Amino acid sequence: MALSCLTRALRSLTLSQPALLSSQAAARSNLGAQVPSSAVIQWRGFLTTASLEQNRIRWKQREKYTIRPIGMKKTGGRDHTGRIRTHGIGGGHKQRYRWVDFHRLRYEANKEGQPFEEKVVEVRYDPCRSADIALVAGGERKRWIIATENMQAGDIIKTSGVIGRMAVSANEGDAYPLGALPVGTLVNNLEVRPGKGSEYIRAAGTSGVLLRKVNGTAIVQLPSKQQVQVLETCIVTVGRVSNIDHNKRIIGKAGRNRWLGIRPSSGLWQRKGGWAGRKIKPLPPMKVYVNLPSVSTS
Amino acid sequence: MFPETAQRLKTAAPLFSHTAFLTDLRRLSAHGGARRHLTVGRCLTAKVPPPRNPRERVEIPGLEMVTYGERMHYVPGLAKPATQHWERDYKDPRYYKSPPAHEMLLYKDKPCYMFNQRTSALEGVRQAAWLTKTQVIPGLPAQLLSPAGNPENQIPDQDERVQNAIKHARFWDTTEDRPRKEKYSNTLLLNLLHLCATLQSSHPAVGRRMLAENYSLATTWKRGEDLLQIRGQNGLLLNSMDPLPEVSGKQEVADTADHVLDTFYPVSPTIDLQKVHVYKEEVNHTGFRDDYPYPHAHTLYFLESADPRCKLRPEQFRTKMIMFTFGNALARAHKLYGTRPQRLLDRPVTVQSVGTNGRIFQFMVFQLNTTDLSGDDGIKNQMWLDEDVELYDFAKVRPLIKKKQVKIPAGLAGYKPETFSKFLALYLHGAV
Repeated sequence: MALSCLTRALRSLTLSQPALLSSQAAARSNLGAQVPSSAVIQWRGFLTTASLEQNRIRWKQREKYTIRPIGMKKTGGRDHTGRIRTHGIGGGHKQRYRWVDFHRLRYEANKEGQPFEEKVVEVRYDPCRSADIALVAGGERKRWIIATENMQAGDIIKTSGVIGRMAVSANEGDAYPLGALPVGTLVNNLEVRPGKGSEYIRAAGTSGVLLRKVNGTAIVQLPSKQQVQVLETCIVTVGRVSNIDHNKRIIGKAGRNRWLGIRPSSGLWQRKGGWAGRKIKPLPPMKVYVNLPSVSTS
Repeated sequence: MFPETAQRLKTAAPLFSHTAFLTDLRRLSAHGGARRHLTVGRCLTAKVPPPRNPRERVEIPGLEMVTYGERMHYVPGLAKPATQHWERDYKDPRYYKSPPAHEMLLYKDKPCYMFNQRTSALEGVRQAAWLTKTQVIPGLPAQLLSPAGNPENQIPDQDERVQNAIKHARFWDTTEDRPRKEKYSNTLLLNLLHLCATLQSSHPAVGRRMLAENYSLATTWKRGEDLLQIRGQNGLLLNSMDPLPEVSGKQEVADTADHVLDTFYPVSPTIDLQKVHVYKEEVNHTGFRDDYPYPHAHTLYFLESADPRCKLRPEQFRTKMIMFTFGNALARAHKLYGTRPQRLLDRPVTVQSVGTNGRIFQFMVFQLNTTDLSGDDGIKNQMWLDEDVELYDFAKVRPLIKKKQVKIPAGLAGYKPETFSKFLALYLHGAV
């Protein structure tokens, strides 16, 4: 079938003018008929190979948000070339991905700009991360968020984007901009660029500390003691992330690690170099995510 | 070439035209003795990839793109010729692409919230009560249950026959070890209905009823600013020629005006309802034609396992029961009194419903007092709900033995006769 289609298409590719007998060619030239060079049949090319794309990342290309768990394809540490990029990953229990909404301050349609409240419906284990996730419902939508330490079903959590003159006494689980919180609060799910979504302090039991607020920016200490300066309109959640005893768990046996998808490391003895051993060094300089106006020397 | 390979090839290679493909097939297969078995070097059963969005053409005014269209072959560096959009001048259902939602004829800016058979409402019975402006009263009304004590309204050998019905549904109705839940719950319901219907000799009004299945219900009403609709194919409905008598008197109906509906801030009452912009306004259809001899809905019977894809929790199942019972009552009221909202109906419409999962029953009586549902105040509808009534404790095929002791014996255990008497009372309501 493919052959016949191919031949049919290629047949249309052949001469734009059919082969004429010499008498007909003479007649045509006598008549002075202009051979239209553009009297060609428009056609478009076709692909002679099979479909080129792979099925690797199609599971995560869904555009519409859903709370339904999505079936996941494990990579085994392999990248697009097929070779191992990260060792020690592979196997493990099958997992379904629950799409967590990291933009805590996401307004519903037609309700922009107003602080809103949501009710926690359920707090459950997530196989894809160390923290627990919470299903929250507000207005007409439901979404998954990272649960904080003492979050339970039935709690009401508030999200607001308003920075008032006075600092808000925030409850655990609420989300406010950094400028609205008092100095010294424990925070998690930190955004470093306003509106980008939280990328820091999301692991189980972690929390950052709001150190100080300096005209329009705020300085937060991350769990690694690294300090970070961000705009005060970045949204954070108050409290510690859930599942605080995560670092105290004992794996117990090699099999449990394999269930988690962690493959054994290479058994080859390798001489430890300068990277190993305890290092005592000063903290790296504070990372600034704000474009401060530079002092120009005129 | 075999037809199934042909089918898969067709799906795997959408580029080639179907008719040409068929003619080639026919030519090949009708070639007489020498059949060519064409093979292709790729998997024939692949999933069809989703259509890729074509690269966006950037039109720069004043700049004319030189295309390779005239040259009849691809030339690197020249632009791809733009193809004109071509529409078939006749309608071919095989190649019909439906227009996007905002171009459809029935598109409206105001959304409508639809409740259907697969809706799983987050807040459960409270949400259904708010949407239908109903006061929930736990327990069935006393005047419904009082005739159950009368031996005239009982089936001879009632307990034994009901136990036989349960055993038939749970043990005997299969050639395998045990029947599956969908099967036994359905069989049990039909057996119980059959038992109730044997009282036709002593209660002639039972004969003026008819069972109906899979009819499509549609009702519309306004609740505040939102337009709500119930649509769906119901399960089993017992219709009757005569309407059900009202359960609560005029005084109780007037007292419902003082009742305040439960709200559940911050969750909106329309959560989990399907929001559509393309809908028909003012649809009110009971599912039957006007000249149907049994117009009044008497009891609805819901099975938890009716839709295998949609598993509802008990609370959500009760919500579905409430909404569809209300839908039937409202459709009837709209037909009798018109679609304009009426503050107080002269004769309230009463509909009952029973839901089961094969062992646990939910009984409900719904009385529609008003069709004026836009505000939160005023007379409310009433609903009597009896939840989670067990018919029997265990019906085990193999006994449960722990540490060499029989904990739960095989067979039917823990039969409760009160449940069937409630079932019978609901059945005989209006016929006693």
